[in-house]
Amino acid sequence: MEASLKRKVSNGLLYLILIVLAVFFILPIVFVAFTALKSNADLNAHSFHSFPRELMWGNFADAWERIKKYMGNSLLISVVKVPLGILVNALAAFALTRLRFKWSTGMFVFILIGMMVPMQATLVPLNMMLNAVGLNNTYPGIMFIYLGFGIPFGILVLRGFMLAIPRELDEAAVIDGCGELGKFFRIIVPIAMPAIATLFILDFLATWNEFLLAQIFITKESMQPVTAGLLTFQGQHSTDYTLLNAGVLLSIIPVMFVYVFFQKYLISGMVGAVKG
Amino acid sequence: MRLRANITPWLFLFPALFIYLAVIVFPSLYSLFLSFFDWNGVSADRKFVGLQNYINLITQDSVFQTALKNNLIWLAGNMTIMIGLGLVFALILNRQLKGRVFFRSVFYYPYVLSGIVVAIVWSWMYHPSKGFVTFFLEKIGLEEWAAPWLSDPKTALYAIFIAAVWQGAGLPMVLFLAGLQTIPRDPYEAAIIDGANPFQTFRYITLPLLRDTFVIVFATTMVGAMKVYDIIYGMTAGGPANSTQVLSSWMYYQTFKYNYIGIGSAISWYLIFICMVVIVPYVIFISRRSYP
Repeated sequence: MEASLKRKVSNGLLYLILIVLAVFFILPIVFVAFTALKSNADLNAHSFHSFPRELMWGNFADAWERIKKYMGNSLLISVVKVPLGILVNALAAFALTRLRFKWSTGMFVFILIGMMVPMQATLVPLNMMLNAVGLNNTYPGIMFIYLGFGIPFGILVLRGFMLAIPRELDEAAVIDGCGELGKFFRIIVPIAMPAIATLFILDFLATWNEFLLAQIFITKESMQPVTAGLLTFQGQHSTDYTLLNAGVLLSIIPVMFVYVFFQKYLISGMVGAVKG
Repeated sequence: MRLRANITPWLFLFPALFIYLAVIVFPSLYSLFLSFFDWNGVSADRKFVGLQNYINLITQDSVFQTALKNNLIWLAGNMTIMIGLGLVFALILNRQLKGRVFFRSVFYYPYVLSGIVVAIVWSWMYHPSKGFVTFFLEKIGLEEWAAPWLSDPKTALYAIFIAAVWQGAGLPMVLFLAGLQTIPRDPYEAAIIDGANPFQTFRYITLPLLRDTFVIVFATTMVGAMKVYDIIYGMTAGGPANSTQVLSSWMYYQTFKYNYIGIGSAISWYLIFICMVVIVPYVIFISRRSYP
């Protein structure tokens, strides 16, 4: 009797803590929503966190008009880069875990060290390199760079997961007469799907949210992705804050969508990375 | 026969390796080379100065010293508060509570936002007169604490840090949740039979079994803390009066605003060096363990 009362109280306490924390986590976005739905007069007259006097849904339409080209750019970049990155990283992780190879650990450490390199350290040389091959201010150019920065983490996650796949499955494939490539596509890739789905989410998010490289390497305004594009809402003389906040909300819809859709893979995929 | 066995791994590795070398390895090495020069990036005039850039930064550049200090503060804060909070969330949400998926999403979704969005959102919250933080402090009777947090050099960094915790605690949480799920129930059941209390089970069962997870959490957090940029640039652009500069942002200024390419490269190599000294031994130790 006493034990279950103790459990109820401790559970109740936990819920209380969780709810208080949840409020702290949700409030900022709620205020963004409030601001997005206000008219400018309302915004200037009252505090930022007040509920709108009148719901200006039209703000979203206006913001959409300005932001849709940036969203389209971000979508293009992400939809091409992410699957390509996964393929490149999976092939490499496969080599590191499945193919007999004296330098596996060394190569892995060599690649992992790349995670420590801040993007800023490579900007000037990368700029020079892109200029030299005429890929400056182009999507292939920036995608190539994004791919590069995604490699250490991508290989970390996929290698971790592949290490956990039992070797008996490989041996079955060999008996069937698959080559290495066949083994890769028909056995390892399907089994590694949770890790691939995780990487898909994380990489999509990272690419969609990337700011620094986009700011530096894509200077043509019509080509900019949504992170740099949002800053154009902040004008030189004045900023239309209601429009900016509406733009912010619109810009996070795709990432929210990807997150919700792939969410269940996130934890199980992380398990693989964590065990490796 | 031996030749075929040796080439295949390299073929699989080739795309990743080529891109990695081209985008990360060679540019960063070239950047190291540039750090020994005094150059503005365009003129043909490029003077070799050896280690002078490095020496000047440490001895004469007060902003660099501030940036270094800020990164260390940021690192300490991340390792304790952000990881600690993530762990607490994970431990709570690992139980069979109702609505845990909801709470998990609530604590994780800010991580899904870009640093710029977080900066915009929290700059609102901190607005001196109309922001929610001021309003909240007044409501709970602490209005002396209300201040233009982001405009005061003494408080700005910490104000940004709160926003960063809001954004970032979800990642350690998710990693710890993954790690906790790999722990079987048996040790816990045995411990309960033996009469262990929650703290003992945590210390002697949970913590040791989470060791691999801690590796990844520590490594990603440390690196992230040293490289932090977006949220700081978005909220204060390194100000006020350079009080919130960190190595990444100060490097950005030196390279792209002042055109001191050599100095900017030197700053970034200080950053790489610090990361390496802390993380490489750690990672080598761990990866050696996982190979039979």
